[in-house]
Amino acid sequence: MLTEIIAAYNEAVFDTDRDSALEIIHCALESGVSPEDIVFQVVIPAMELMIKSISEDFDANLAQHFMASQIASQVTEEMVAKFKKSPEIIGTVILGTSHGDMHTLGKRIVSGCLRSLMIDVVDLGVNVAPEKFVDEAVAHNAPVIAISSMMMHTARSDLGCIKVREILKERNLEAKIKIVVGGAPYRWDPNLYKIVQADAWAEDGITAGKVIKDLIMEMKK
Amino acid sequence: MITGMERLVAAMNGEKSDRIPVFCNLLDQGAKELGISTLKEYYSNGEYVAEAQLKMREKYGYDNVWSLFYVGKEAELLGCQKIIYATDGPPNVEHFVIQSDADIEKLQVPEDITSHPAWAEELKCLQILKREAKGKYPICAYLTASMTLPAILMGMDKWFELLFFGSHDLRDLLLSKCSEFFHKEVTAYRNAGADIILYANPFGSTDFVPKKQFQNLSMPWMKKDLEPVGIDDVVYYCGSSRMNNVIEPVMEQLNLKSFYLSPNDDVAAGKKIVANRGLTCGVINDIRLIGQKPKCAAKCNALLRLAWQGGNLRLAHW
Repeated sequence: MLTEIIAAYNEAVFDTDRDSALEIIHCALESGVSPEDIVFQVVIPAMELMIKSISEDFDANLAQHFMASQIASQVTEEMVAKFKKSPEIIGTVILGTSHGDMHTLGKRIVSGCLRSLMIDVVDLGVNVAPEKFVDEAVAHNAPVIAISSMMMHTARSDLGCIKVREILKERNLEAKIKIVVGGAPYRWDPNLYKIVQADAWAEDGITAGKVIKDLIMEMKK
Repeated sequence: MITGMERLVAAMNGEKSDRIPVFCNLLDQGAKELGISTLKEYYSNGEYVAEAQLKMREKYGYDNVWSLFYVGKEAELLGCQKIIYATDGPPNVEHFVIQSDADIEKLQVPEDITSHPAWAEELKCLQILKREAKGKYPICAYLTASMTLPAILMGMDKWFELLFFGSHDLRDLLLSKCSEFFHKEVTAYRNAGADIILYANPFGSTDFVPKKQFQNLSMPWMKKDLEPVGIDDVVYYCGSSRMNNVIEPVMEQLNLKSFYLSPNDDVAAGKKIVANRGLTCGVINDIRLIGQKPKCAAKCNALLRLAWQGGNLRLAHW
């Protein structure tokens, strides 16, 4: 039964049909599937399937990325409120766009995706100062800072990822906090993440979920 | 000597001239060219922009000039109060005109955009370009489609939210205001001397929206944008989003004939789809080629060879 629910839910998400996706989830709930199973057996596997499909060259468009993350995030939030006990959170991520960058879409996709994967997100918004990224990571004991940039100059800026790295070095935090970057400039130049001294990069908002989750799990070891 | 306009016209007619037309998108670089230290100062005066455009075209010998200042100019015409100027990149919209549903209701398309203060420097620039280019080099204007304009008025994520989750009435109200703005804008640019209208619409690509939404939403709004104003000078452009998938329906349903591909598109495939029915503009992703002159030259040469086979192609850098 869960396999059918996952298939139907995924189809609705890929069709960018939020109403159908929510209806499938609510029907599953009514037919006795627990909120825990909906999150861990439907939403997370569906998200992981989408990540896998994208990594295998499935040609998903931006609307599908957006809808997948928003639907997953919404369903997760609704279901978690119904859990018998609070779920274990994998970790916390500090998220924002780099200094001078006002673009919000990529960050929002990443945020929705991470929340559905049981990762707490502290969203600092847009045009975030490098010091703020580090201060908030320390305050929330977050192992990952995720910096989204839509423009080449904001990705390469001395006040962007490069400065965050410099501050981590100065404060001797590099072993505790990793930097993940993403956004259009990194797709144009897949080596750019090394130039800006990030630890990892993600090609799109959905893939970012996996990259960040893997990084957190690795650091937990 | 043959001019850029003659090269373009030859390419549009499927004829060969001395070389394929080359369009260069040098914008912010104009400030450096004139020795102006900040983009804010550079873009404050249409004379600077026009002078730099003419100077750069002369210096590098390419075939076009741009009347475009920065994309946020359109938002300024619709009430944007603040542009963020970087020292090392293009200006960006900092103040979103639409922050709530009520702002969509309140959004006013100026009755006459040419009397708007934000238009004054554009006009000054266009008048100089028109006078100095003397029809030898096409003057390009960049206009955002109704489906895409909301992204710079309210932010891309809020636009996606309204588009996919919001009220259809509100969505359509915003789209109709953006389309009305497009009509006024295209008329103003043409009257002021623009020769080529780059119709910018990433939502006209299936990299942005699924095919079904492209057909059911993007296409009808593109028709509403373009049918009342004519399409002879209009070039289809989806930013960095690919368009090979949609060239056929765009040709069939909008009658557009010029396509400015994405650097991510397969140029040979795009040219094959357009065939002899129109003009394809092959685009180089120069970001990946920064600091790699030999690779850049090889990439250009490959594209030029492709262009020369059968004509109907022009070259641009992205």
